[in-house]
This record gives sequence, structure tokens and C-alpha cells, in this order.
Amino acid sequence: MITFTIDGQTVQTEEGKTVLEVARREGIPIPTLCYHPAVEPYGACRMCTVEVELHGRTRLETSCTIPAQEGMIVRTNTPDVYKVRQTLMGLFLSRCPNVPLIQELAAQYGVTEPPYPTDTPDEKCILCGLCVRVCQNVVKAKALNFSERGITRRVGPPFLEKTRDCIGCGACTIVCPTGAIEIVMEKLAVYKEKPLGPTSAIYVPSLQAVPRVPVIDTDVCIRFRQNDRTNGRIADACGVCQMMCEANAINFDQEDEIIELEVGAIIVATGFHMWDPTQLSQYAYGQSPNIITGLEFERLSNAGGPTGGEILLADGRKPESVAIIHCVGSRDHNAHPYCSRICCMYALKQAHLVRDKTGAEVYEFYMDMRAFGKAYEEFYERIQEEGVFMIRGKGAKVEVLPDGKLRVKGENANLGVMVSVDVDMVILATAIEAQPDADRIASLFGLGRTEDGFFAEAHPKLRPVETNTEGIFLAGACQGPRDVPDTVAHTGAAVSMALALLDKGEVTISPAIAWVNEELCSACKTCIALCPYRAISFIEEDNVARVNEALCKGCGTCVAACPAGAITGRHFTDEQILAQIEGLFRLPVEQLEGVGS
Amino acid sequence: MPRITSLEELHKLRAELRGEVMQRYEVGTTLVVGMGTCGIAAGARETLRTLSEELARRGIEAHLTITGCIGQCAYEPLVTVHRADAPPVMYGHVTADKVPELVEKHLVQGQVIQEWVVETS
Amino acid sequence: MTTKPRATVLLCSSTGCLASGSAGVREAMSAELQRRKLEDEVQMVIGGCRGFCTMGPVMDIYPGGIFYVRVQPADVSEIVEETLIKGRVVERLCYKDPVTGETIPIFEKIPFYAKQERLILRNCGRINPNRIEEYIAFGGYEALAHALLAMTPEEIIRDVKASGLRGRGGAGFPTGRKWEATRMAEGDIKYVVVNGDEGDPGAFMDRSIMEADPHSVLEGLTIGAYAVGAHQGYIYVRDEYPLAVRNLQIAIDQAREYGLLGENILDSGFDFDVQIMRGAGAFVCGESSALMQSLEGKVGEPRPKHIHATERGLWDRPTCLNNVKTWATIPHIINNGPEWFRRMGTEGSPGTMVFSLVGKVNNTGLVEVPMGISLHDLIYDIGGGIPKGKKFKAVQTGGPSGGCLPAELLHLPVDFDRLTEAGSMMGSGGMIVMDEDTCMVDVARYFLDFLKEESCGKCVACREGIKRMLEILTKITEGQGTMADIERLETLAWTVQQASLCQLGKTAPNPVLSTLRYFHDEYVAHVVDKKCPGGVCRALITYSIDPEKCTGCMVCARKCPQTAISGERRQPHVINPELCIRCGVCRDLCRFDAVVVE
Repeated sequence: MITFTIDGQTVQTEEGKTVLEVARREGIPIPTLCYHPAVEPYGACRMCTVEVELHGRTRLETSCTIPAQEGMIVRTNTPDVYKVRQTLMGLFLSRCPNVPLIQELAAQYGVTEPPYPTDTPDEKCILCGLCVRVCQNVVKAKALNFSERGITRRVGPPFLEKTRDCIGCGACTIVCPTGAIEIVMEKLAVYKEKPLGPTSAIYVPSLQAVPRVPVIDTDVCIRFRQNDRTNGRIADACGVCQMMCEANAINFDQEDEIIELEVGAIIVATGFHMWDPTQLSQYAYGQSPNIITGLEFERLSNAGGPTGGEILLADGRKPESVAIIHCVGSRDHNAHPYCSRICCMYALKQAHLVRDKTGAEVYEFYMDMRAFGKAYEEFYERIQEEGVFMIRGKGAKVEVLPDGKLRVKGENANLGVMVSVDVDMVILATAIEAQPDADRIASLFGLGRTEDGFFAEAHPKLRPVETNTEGIFLAGACQGPRDVPDTVAHTGAAVSMALALLDKGEVTISPAIAWVNEELCSACKTCIALCPYRAISFIEEDNVARVNEALCKGCGTCVAACPAGAITGRHFTDEQILAQIEGLFRLPVEQLEGVGS
Repeated sequence: MPRITSLEELHKLRAELRGEVMQRYEVGTTLVVGMGTCGIAAGARETLRTLSEELARRGIEAHLTITGCIGQCAYEPLVTVHRADAPPVMYGHVTADKVPELVEKHLVQGQVIQEWVVETS
Repeated sequence: MTTKPRATVLLCSSTGCLASGSAGVREAMSAELQRRKLEDEVQMVIGGCRGFCTMGPVMDIYPGGIFYVRVQPADVSEIVEETLIKGRVVERLCYKDPVTGETIPIFEKIPFYAKQERLILRNCGRINPNRIEEYIAFGGYEALAHALLAMTPEEIIRDVKASGLRGRGGAGFPTGRKWEATRMAEGDIKYVVVNGDEGDPGAFMDRSIMEADPHSVLEGLTIGAYAVGAHQGYIYVRDEYPLAVRNLQIAIDQAREYGLLGENILDSGFDFDVQIMRGAGAFVCGESSALMQSLEGKVGEPRPKHIHATERGLWDRPTCLNNVKTWATIPHIINNGPEWFRRMGTEGSPGTMVFSLVGKVNNTGLVEVPMGISLHDLIYDIGGGIPKGKKFKAVQTGGPSGGCLPAELLHLPVDFDRLTEAGSMMGSGGMIVMDEDTCMVDVARYFLDFLKEESCGKCVACREGIKRMLEILTKITEGQGTMADIERLETLAWTVQQASLCQLGKTAPNPVLSTLRYFHDEYVAHVVDKKCPGGVCRALITYSIDPEKCTGCMVCARKCPQTAISGERRQPHVINPELCIRCGVCRDLCRFDAVVVE
């Protein structure tokens, strides 16, 4: 342990720490421009200069590079130090007179005007080297470096030409203190200032997540991307999260575990997916950061969100007017013909939140108000009393005006007039739909899908939580749009039925299933590939196909397909069917044309 | 080129090489006798012969060479003595009888015989 | 009689003389000797640079040590006829003392040389650098043999420490301490490096030594490697010295053949080999940490100094880096002992130092003198004083980052500490003499211009600070300066000195600070009176013709590029100040000293 003093205060630190690191830890302010804890100190800006007395010699040194030593006496704000920083800020301000960060820091040292003539007033780069260090040593893409020498020094890719080595990770823009580097996206940047989703590759899903620990999105994480991109050649890029984690809890080598369980019942509760309204171009989603979906508004309004729960526009201002448009992508033959059920009520809730938190004017464009639940209608009335403008008429179009305001056009069907209102923010109550991987889940569990894409219940009225497969149940929005109270009820039902099943210990299945006559089976395996429920297996030892009676749904596909005619549908044999037909027509079979040949 | 593997070998090599190098500076003594017409007329042939005998008799190693008319004909026979670390010294009127003294004083004792010197500027 | 060659012609073929045509002289000499059938009697030897380059091409003739200067191919036949055959000195080719006018045919008698103590320069010019045999013949490698075979590394370090030798590259750090630190550092792999970058414009001491006596550097380096425990060395030579690279490589190859380099040197069991690396045109790569970055193949940018190269240098391994002259001194210390070395020089700076004495001084060239000699003696006794009877004004020591010292300080002994105290520095030994026709403000501006180009640009203080100081100085020399500018200049200079990362930045303000300190009135004259006392700054001077002296020869009028001079034949001429661009042609041409600049 090393003991030394900073500004008269005695401090201790382990060996290897710099004076700046200790000062930061102790809360002693030292200005820096080229320092960042995730990269090696560079010593380019010289602003962190302090006076150091050691072994009887007093010198000015940069605190970011000088290691703390036993008996050192550090003074962070002597008149000499002040004079150095003041002169340096004069130099910085003359180089970049229009960079707010430089202006602010210079003002702290009494420098308000650039003391020297400026060559390029738009210059933003202060040559601090943070972007270079991050790109070279952390991300290891090595796309950025310094070139030229002396006063013509500059930062950029080799020969200032676009390079494929840049992976577009944005690390350079994050560390750049003056905003000299921008990420330019192919399509218009949507969430430039206030991201409503995860902001980094490692993120806590939400403050209500269980367990509330961060996860790494390996599609975005630089380490995984670089590893994949270079086939393992750069296997240790970045890793800043691991460097910073004091509990040493980050392990990049964790693999997905495949756990096999034998269970008696399965409840499918895979939820819904928020549809992307970009495809309905009339709503201009993606062309302004202030046009957001209902789910994004929820994030904005959440106390654990990016704004701490305040309703703010992308540039940080409070909106003065908000439009909420219902049925975006629902009840629409161009998108989803069904009603998404939950939007009307949450739209009213969001209107209330906007009024309450910002006092902004709210315009609700709706077609029909679906307030079907307990106390829902009463809530609807209350919202109207809060002064929300309810406009019965589908919001038809959202235009982004040059000054950033949003023009919503629609029809007020009650009055029979076209309405146009300019607002600061538009919330689109977007349709909810089945998850994108519903296909895969359905085939895994042998689930059917209804026309709306959600999983098929066994009976639309009488068996809402069961599926056609015994033992597999549905819970919640994966079966169809539903709100919280309904989901709770639905799930309760699924759970009860599952428990009942487990309690009973056995399932009752329909007897109308397929059966393979093993003497006739020629082991061609056609039926195995065809079975949509994967109920037929090929038994190697006996060289025959065999039907799993629990899985078979009696659809009859294999019966028809078997070239040897070895499979029978129980209770649906050819003879039985013909007998039924005979009964229908009350005629002897022989007298019917084209039958039985 | 043999590898040097000890201090003794280095010293031996140095002694050998030193001779070769130092002869550049200490190329020994060179005596130049003017043998142009004026010189011969003044008796330079005898001077040359006597010099040659005297050097051999005394066992002095020196290079003996002749040259043509230098242009100081009045002072012939001219003998110029070149020695290491000294500017050349030109002696005039060096007839054969003066040779022994020249060899004794200048070559053996290293003294310049000032009275006999002819200025070359 | 004898059949060995009876005469030797030693012809310098180093860069300076090559540039003035010694290759042609060599060819002519060779041809002439053949023509006269003297090839067996007269041997031609290629010599190295002894630092008298303004007099080149130079030639020595033995026996006798006759020294000819400014020899041209056309002179060769006369030399052969007169000196080699007739034994007479060709006076017009001899050195003439600029003060006394005396013709001095013998090399060692020339006062410029006679007053020097040529220790590390002693082989320069007298041996053929491409023959290791000559180096050995003059006592070379004795020190290495003694060190490897009869001394331990600790003993060597003890001797170097006791000698008080301080680094000759500029910083003057005690060499023995640096070696000791490298030896004590942890690690099996260590390096020794020769700093042959010599970036100071006009400095050529290291060049001379590398070209003319490369083995002295190799010998010192090998001894050092043995002392610190390194088995690999690098010689970093600036790219602009191709002859030095060539001669060093030949020396390395020859040393290897003789077992004086490579595996099992002198059968001692010690392995050490050397590689030459070339620079790429950056003054900043003379700074040791930037040099090491460059050696590693990276951009030459310095590192903060608290990381000691002796612990973590090249490739993070302990590295001992010293200047060419420092390494070349080592064999002498081993041969003669530390006490002998201490007897020369001063208490704080023992030994000798090689200076390149240039500028407005009669005898220019490389001078090796014991430390402690006064600036006055150096400039007047050895340098021969200021030419054309002008007055001494200032001497800049230590290269472009050095300070300018005025006449009042001529008594100052040349010594690391005394020069630093006075606001200048020893640097690598550059010494530029300036006379009354120099403008000190312009001098400061000139050196800052150089440093601005050479700054690596990493830290703000140096990169922006030098640029702004230069702007202010240019303003002042153009007559636009104010007293506030001088104040701002002082603050800037102080800040750059305090806040820069490396010594290039920290010493860059020296020309400014020292001229402000000693020649403040000149700055004031530029700013307040709008005059340039040195007669240099074009915006502030006027050219006129003294009618008393002008003879009306019309030479200036004909040559004036602006046709600004008018006048009749035999009538005093007049310069039109509107047209005059102050180029100085008329002043240079006038044989009657009639052009007045003020």
C-alpha cells in the first residue's frame, strides 16, 4: 500500500494506480479531456497537470500518467497549475472555438474568447486519441489511427478512405468528448438521443427483470461479433464489461445449456410480439424519433426507463401536444384483420399519463372504443372528462414537418369533417401479433394455428386453454390478444387443468387413431415423414413403422399415404366409411357409380 | 581472417598490422636527388653514388630516388630529405664530399643542417 | 633500395568531402599515378572525416603530414609533380590561417587542431574506416579484450560510474547509473541501442564518427552490452546518412569475421550481435522513447518519462540507449581508467566533448575539447574569431532547442550544468556563432519554424503552443507586434516548457526564452520602434547607398532584381525604397561597402 497526500489530504492506494485514479476515487476534481477509464492513459491534452513534489524535487506532471508513489505530495490547483490549464484552454479554444465542451471548460479558467486566430472554425476534433485507443486496443478493429505529424496531425482511417475494417460498433462516437465523430446510418437514425431499448450489448432487460442481472446480446456484443467476423483470430476484443466488473461475474465462455426434462404436462406461454408499423408508411414510423409505438411509450413512462419516467421528446423537451392513433395495423386488411383488444384501454391510460405528467393536449383518433371490462367504461368516461380530445375517425396519415412537428390527418366521422392537427409526439397503438417463431413452436409441440396466427385452442368457446394434444396447454397472449386480467384468468385455468392432469396421472385419448399392420409394413418410411404430429417412429430392430398412440391425432394422412396399405385408421376403415355412405344413400353399394373399384 | 580468441592473439595481430599501417606515416626516409641536366652538370651523379654507398655502409634503410630539374638550378646538386612528421627539407650544393655529413647529421642524429637548406617558397 | 611504398596519399571520402568532389580527385589521382608509373611507390588510402568539411576535399600526404585543402581534380597533376616527385609543398593548396594569414602546411600545426584534445575523434581522418585492420593497428579492440577477458560486468560499471561520464546525446544523464539500472532490471532479455539519429540541423559529430571510425562505436557498444547483460544491440541511424550505414555494416561484417562480434566473442563465451536500423526522417525520433517506438515499427511518438527505458524499453524489455559519442568514449575509459578521464574536463562534466562549431566563425568544423573550456576560447582561440572583422553577438549551444548566450557570458565554461543554468543546454554539441548582422528575434523564429515541423503532434502544449509562438514571432518580425504580444509569448513559452510531454516540447521554447532574457531590447525595438537592429527582418529595414563611398560602378544597378537602383556612371547611386525588396544582392556585390542597412 502506498501512502501520499493530495491537496493536504492523506490517501492510500495499491501500487500501480495513477494519481488521477486516486483523485477520482476521492472525489477531488481534476479536469481531463483525453482520459477514459476503459483505455490506457495517453497524456495528450495535458489538462490533468498537477504539481508533484517527490524526493525534494517539485515538478508539473500529468496526473493521468504518473503513478502514485510513497511520500508524494500532490497539489492539484496551485497558481502555476491554473496558469498552465488556462493557457492550454486558450490553445484548445483557438483550435475549436465552437465546441460546447471546450467553451465550458475554457470559461472555467476565465477564457471566453479564442486568444489566437482560428484556422477552421468548424473543427471539432481535439486530437485526444480516445477514438484511436478504443478502436485499436478495445474493439481491436484497428480502423482508426493518427496520420501526419505535428500541426497537421489528424485522425481517421488509412488515407481517410472508407475502410471495411470499421465494424460500425459506435465505440468511437461514445468516447469522443466533443462529438467530432458521428455514426451515420443507412436509414434515418431513429433513437439518436433517447434510446427506448437496450443501449449497449450488455444490459439489464428491465428493472423488473427476474433475476435482475445483465445479459449479453451476442449479436451486438463486439467481442462475439469480432470473434465470428474474423473466425476466431480476434477472440479477445473489448471485454470492457469484464474489466469493470468488481465481482468478476462476467464469463464470456458460458455456453447455452440444453436441459432435458421428462414432464407430464406442458404450458405454452410464449406471449405476443409488437408489430413493426414501418410497413404502413402513412404513419411515418421511423422517420422521426417522436413517433413511437405504445410499448415504447410504456418504456418512456416507466420510472426505470431512459428518462426516469418523464415524458420527453427526443431532444429533451416536454411535448406540448400528443396524438394517439388507435388500430395501427389492427382491424386492417392490409395488416391484421383482427382487433388487438388491449390497445383502446392502454391508449386511454397513456392519454391520462401524458395529461398528468406534462399537461400537453392529447388527441385520440379511434374507430370504436372497446371498453369491455370491469370499470373500463367508467375509465373511458373519466378520460373524456380530463379534457382529452376524442376524435372518432381513423388517424389516416402522419407527416413529419421540416421543423420536426408532426401533422396528423384524419377524419372526424362524428362531425363529418377532415381533421388536421400539428403535434409534438405521436403514439401509435400498434397491433400485437403472434411471435415470429410461432411456426417453430407450433411444430415442436404439435400446435395448430388459427387464422390470426396465434396458437389454436381445442375449442373456441368451450376449451380455451387446451390444445388438440393432450397434456399441452396454452396460457396468455400466445393464444390470442388479451389484457392482464384476462391473462391471469386464462393462465389460472391452464394451470388448474395441468394440475388436474398430473393429479389424475393418466390421459384419455380418442380411440380414432392409426395403427400399422406390421406384417404388411414394407419399411418404406413414407408415413414417418408425413405425420404432422411426428407420431410414427421407425423401429430398427423390427424393421417396421409403429404409431405412438398417445401422439396420434387420427388425422388419417398416413392411412392414405401408405403404398402397401398397411396402416388402418381405427374406426375409420374403408369398410366402415363405405357402410356409412351406404347408410346415407340407403342404396346398395353396387348400385352407386364409381365406388368401390 | 582468423578469429581472435585471446588478448595475446590481439596483441600479436596488432603488432603485425601496425607495421603495415605505420609505414604509411613512417614510410621511412626518402632522399630525392635532382638529376636534371643542371644537376648532372653540378656533379649529382657522384652525389647519388656516394649516397648509395654511404647508406649501404651504415646499414640505413632509405628510399633513394631521382627527379628532374626543379628549377633551382643554381643550387644543384639538390638533395631533398623526406622524413615522417617533418616537412621536406631541401639541401643545396650537396656535392659528393658533403654526403657523409648529411647522412650523419640529418639521417642519424635527426638534425637539420640549416646552412645548407634551400628555401622552397 | 626498398620496394615498399615510399609515400602515402590519404584522401577523405566521407560525406562532406564527397559532396565537394573528392571522388573526382580520387579518380584523377589514381590516373595520374598510373600515368607517372608511381602506383608501386605511392599508395592511396581512403580516409574518414575529421570534421573539417568546409575545407573539403582534404588530402594528407606522408611522409611529413602535408595537408592540402579544397583540392580539385585539376590540382592533382601539380600535387603529384611538386610534392610526390619533387618534394615541394604546393602553397596555394595549404590551409591559410584566416586571422594571421599564415600558410600552414602541416595538419597538426593548424591551431584549429593543435588546440583540440582529440580523443574520440583521433582516428577520424587517419584510418580507412573500411579496414578493421587499421583500427586494430591503432590499438582498437584492446579495451574490449580487456573488458571481456579480465573484468566482470560489475567492475566495468564501477569504472564507468567512477569516470563520471555523462551522456553525450544531450540530457547528460550519468552513463554509469544508466548502465547499472539496466543491469539491475529484471529480465533475461535486454537491449543496448546506439542513438545515431543526430537530428540537430547542422550537427555532424555523430556522422563523422560513424563514417570515419565505426569500430569505436561497436567496441564501446559491445563492452556496454557485456556490462548490462544484453546480447542484442541496435544502431539506429538516421536515413539521411547512407554512408554511415554502409561503413557501419562493413565494420560489423569485418568484426564478425575476426570473432569480435557475434557468438563467443574473443572466446569469452559472451554472445552479442548488432543490427542496423534506419530512421525515416523525423527529428523527434532522436528522443529516446520515440526512437524505441520507431525501432519497434510504430510511429515515433514519445512516452511519459516516468516509465524508465532501463526497466521497460524496447518491446517492454530493459534497454540501455546512449548516443554515438558516449559509446565511442567507453573504450578510452576502459583503456586508461576512470581517474585519467576525470583529470580532463570539470568536476561536474569530466572528459572531452565534441562540438560542431559553425556559423559566423573563421574556423568551422568539429572540435573536441576538454569540458570546461570557456566559450571565449572555443570561439576565438580555436574558432579563430568572427570573420570580416564583425562583432560577436551570440552563440547558440545545443541545437534548435538550445538557448542563445550573449557576449557577457563568453567567459562561461562549457559544462552541462553551467550551460543549463544560463538558460541554454549542452545538447548534442551544436554551437552556432552569430555576429552583429544577426537578428535574435529572427533566430528564435527560425528555430521554432523547424521545431513546428518536427513536433510529433501528440500533446497540445507542444503542437499548438509552438505554432502559436511562431505566429507571434512572425508577427513581430513583420512589424505587427505589440508589447502585449511579448507578454503572451512569455506565458506561452513558459507553459510549453512546463506542460509538454517530452523534451522536444520542453526545450522548444529555449530559443524564445533565452533571447527574451538576453536580448529583450531587440524585441522591444521590433515592437515599439519598428526597427530590426540586426538588419535582417525585411519589413523593418531599409537599404540605402552611402554617397561618400559609392563609386558609381553600376554593378548593383545591373544586378538588382527589382531594378530599384538608379544612377549614372561614376555618380552615387540611389535605391528606390518603394521597389527595394531587401534581398541583399547589392550589399553582397558592392566592393566598396557602400550599401547601408538599418
